[in-house]
This record gives sequence, C-alpha cells and structure tokens, in this order.
Amino acid sequence: MRRTRLLFAWLGTFFVAVVIIFPVYWGLRTSLVANANLDLFPTQFTLDHYRELFAAGFLNNIKNSLIVSLGTVQWTLPISLLAGYSLARFNFAGKRFSVVLLVLPLLPAIAVLVPLILYMRVLGLYNTLSAVIVASTVFSLPFCTWMIRGFMLSIPREIEEAALIDGSGPLRALWSIDIPLAAPGLIAVGIFSLINAWNNYLFSFAFTTKRALQVVPAALLGFITAWGQNYGGMNAAAVVAMMPVLIFFLVFQKWFIQGMLAGSSK
Amino acid sequence: MTLSSTLRPGRAAPASRGQRLWRQLRSHALPYIFLAPLVVLLLAFLAFPFGSLIYYSLHRVDLGGSANFIGLRNFVILFHEQRFVQNLTTSGIYLAGNLAISLPLAYFAALLISSNRRGVGVLRTLFLIPWVLAPIVTAVLFKTLMNPSSGPITFALKWIFGHPVYLTLTDWGARLLIILHSAWRSFPLEMLLIAAGMTAIPVELYEASRVDGAGPWKQFRYITLPLTRTPLFSALLLISVYTIQDAEGVYALTQGGPGYGTEVTGVRLFKEAFLYFNIGLASAIGLVLIVLSIILIVFYLRILGQGESA
Repeated sequence: MRRTRLLFAWLGTFFVAVVIIFPVYWGLRTSLVANANLDLFPTQFTLDHYRELFAAGFLNNIKNSLIVSLGTVQWTLPISLLAGYSLARFNFAGKRFSVVLLVLPLLPAIAVLVPLILYMRVLGLYNTLSAVIVASTVFSLPFCTWMIRGFMLSIPREIEEAALIDGSGPLRALWSIDIPLAAPGLIAVGIFSLINAWNNYLFSFAFTTKRALQVVPAALLGFITAWGQNYGGMNAAAVVAMMPVLIFFLVFQKWFIQGMLAGSSK
Repeated sequence: MTLSSTLRPGRAAPASRGQRLWRQLRSHALPYIFLAPLVVLLLAFLAFPFGSLIYYSLHRVDLGGSANFIGLRNFVILFHEQRFVQNLTTSGIYLAGNLAISLPLAYFAALLISSNRRGVGVLRTLFLIPWVLAPIVTAVLFKTLMNPSSGPITFALKWIFGHPVYLTLTDWGARLLIILHSAWRSFPLEMLLIAAGMTAIPVELYEASRVDGAGPWKQFRYITLPLTRTPLFSALLLISVYTIQDAEGVYALTQGGPGYGTEVTGVRLFKEAFLYFNIGLASAIGLVLIVLSIILIVFYLRILGQGESA
C-alpha cells in the first residue's frame, strides 16, 4: 500500500518532468544556442536566432497579432455580455433555441471558412486584418455568450430586483449590479477569447495572403516550411508566440479554469 | 398616498397610458435588442456561409465566384478516390490513437491532482500548459524533439534500438508523431473534467472499500471509474470532436506527409480550400466533416443520456 503510493508519487514526478516540461525546455534551449550545439544542458548561449527573427520582420507579425487579438476581445466582450445577460435574466419566446450556442463550438470552423473566403472577397475584406478579427470574433461568440450566461445565472436575482424596485431600469441594473458582480467571469471570458485569438493561425491563413498581414502563428507556419532545418530560428519564434500565453495563463489561471469548467459542464 | 411615495423614493409620477405602453414595449423588446448583435453576426457569418457551403458543394466553383451546378459529382469524386478514403481512415486512426494514449494519461494526472498532497496546485498548473499553448507552437516543439538530424528523441531511439529510427520518414512513424502530439495537447482538458468528477466522490466510499480489503486498483476499477462516467463521456465528446476536425496541429507537424500518410480529413480540407482554392471540392469535404462531427455528438450524447436515465 505504502509502496504503491511511493511509486505513484515517483512516477508522477517523472511524468511531469519528462512529458510536460521537457518539450518546452528543449524548445527554449534550442532557441538560445547555435544550431550545431546538441548539449542537454548547454553553457554557451546566443541571441542570434532572435536577431535573425526580428530581421525577418517578425515585429510586424507581433503587431498584427496584437491588433487581431485585442480587436477580437473588444468585439466579443460587449456582444456576448449583452446576449448572455439577456439569456440569463429575461424570459422570451424562442429562448430555448439558445442551446444552439452549446452545439456551435463543436462543429468544424474550418468548414465554414471555405465559403467565408469568397464572402470576404465580396465584402472587400479579403487581405485585411478586419477579416481575421471578424472571423475570430464570430467563432468565439457562442461559447463566450454561454459562459457569461452561466456567470449571470450565478448572481442572485434578488440583488438585481432590489435595484429595479429602487427605480433603476434594466440597463442601469446591468451596469451597476451585474457587471461588477460578474467581473471575474468577464475577465475569464476576455482572457479565453484573447488566448484563442492569439493562438489561431487558420483565420489569418485563410483570409490573408500577404506576409505583412500575417499574425505570429501564421508567420511561424511559414518559417516551418521556409527554414527547414533552422530549428533555432523556428523555436525562437515559438518562444515569442508562447510567452504571452504562458504569462497570462499563470497569472489568471484560477479564473480561466473556472470559466472553462463553467462553460463546458452546463 | 404620501406614505407610499416616501416608501418608493425612486418611483416616477403615475405614468400616462402612452408612457406605460412604451415601457411595456421596451421591456418586451429588450431581450431581443440585447441579443440582436449576436444573432445578426451568427446569421451573417455562420448560418449564411453554411448555406453557401451546401450550395458550393453541389457546384464547380472558380475564384471569380461563378458556379456550375454539377449535382453530387463532388461527393462521387471524393468517395471513389482512394486518397479521400485514406483521409477518412487516417482520421479514424488519429482519433483512436489519441484517445488510447490521452485517456490513461488523463486519469493518471487526475488522480495525482485530486489527492490532497502538498504541491498539487503546482502540478495542476503544469499539466494544463500543453492545453493553453497554440497548436502551431507545440507542433514546433515536437518537430524539434523528433527531427532526424538533432532531435533528442531521435538519439534516444537510436540508443534503444541500436540503429537510427526516423519517425518522420515512415507512414506509421509520422502517424505516431501526430498522435503523440494531439494526445499531449488533449489530456489536460480530459484531466480537468475527470478530476472535477473525482472530487465529487464521497470519501466514505473509499474508506468503506478499504475496510472490505480493496486495493488501489480495485478502488479505481469499482469506485472511481464508474463514478466518473459522466465527466469521462463529456471529455470524450469534446476531444473526439476536436480531434476529428483537427487541421492546424497535423498540418504544422507533417503537412500530411510523408506522401498522404498523415493526411487526415481536416488537412485535406485545409489544402483544397486554402492552397488550391478548390472551393467546390473543399465544401464537399467540409460537409463530410460536419456530418462526422454530428454523428460523434449524437453518439456520445445518447450514451450520456442513458447514464442519466439509468
């Protein structure tokens, strides 16, 4: 009994060290040493790969990524806030169709992207960052709305009713009661859509053909095919792409996990 | 009268009929007004394109947008094509392999993080990292680990087998690579759901079973596993659907190669749509992918429904 527990703990540590940390460590290591260096724990470091990366115009890709992910949050949050509030607080005909919001995230976004390419051409948005923002917003909306609905439902209705009796309208109640109380949930939703938008390369790849318009993950895909054996350069780009996500996740993880569980279980 | 008005300080003076009507209308229209932006966007950029998807799948489309009706020809072409049949079977292998590896991992990790030892919070954080990273980022990390010239895994395999084994150069090696990658990305979400289910199991059950002489394996088999049925199938539903649709991870790792060895259905769609702009055929593949997803959703929801009624 005791021995199995010890074995378990030992296996667990090993597992964490090798399976989770090692790939990330190796990527970071590879980005910081010369390509010919194969030491497990290198002693000589270089920033050449990062220099090379920024010489190739990577800063511009970072800027695009920032525009796209912040733009996505900026549109997703207010729209899903209003819709989620409406679903949680009002009774109206057709409300039961809201289940669609739970099913939509399970269907393949990539399928709908095919006709969307032609749409964006017609709308004159093809080869613009706006197209990427629109797609990224639309595909994050169903799940975010459902999450916000859940957070709104968890706020006791009585608090809001007290405000309504005091004579404030629903808009005012939303602004001064529900939004502050649902703040952790809103932050979770914001971070969720921010990370998703930052990580995605499908939309950028589908709607933009110019290198100057690519977001970081799309540029990274380009490096994979263009740089072939330059693993140092590739990993430098990967490190730049993952750092903001890791930092955001570590800082906000409690809210993030809560939001995910709230969204996926009910 | 003065009494009631002092009791309700915010109440306005008695409203006229017109005002009351307006207020009523507003309170009835308000839920729809709040929903309007969402509904408009979803209709314009999801429902409408979905309609076009069906339309285009029945047409030969060129990039100018002109479409010639060809009936079900796109589907006939696809299902008579050896390559597409292989796309589908590769997707099946990809899904089965992912579940076979990620589920045991997820249970193991869930057991680790739902005990109340010290340091469990740190463990949970670490376990979730593969899940928050972008598929393209983890693909680069895996590519680097397995690359034929300098990857540590390549060296390890050479050391174990005594001769070089290049995972990325053979069909099954490359399949193993994409499966390991997606299992690595999938297990955290499964773990999170299963662990949430585990914490809901009463401790008394384990104590009682220990008195009856059950070891850890029996406890797992007869208590933990049956009582985490619902979160297990929720996790299966999510991961199965994501895996069958995956294009990003596989395309970044192998571009479907060597040959068509790892070309899963999502990657085929990705190539036809975004590289060859073959809109008609890509739409047909997209529809196949949607149907596959719906079959999976219905399948798992039925199992979940049975568990609840039993």
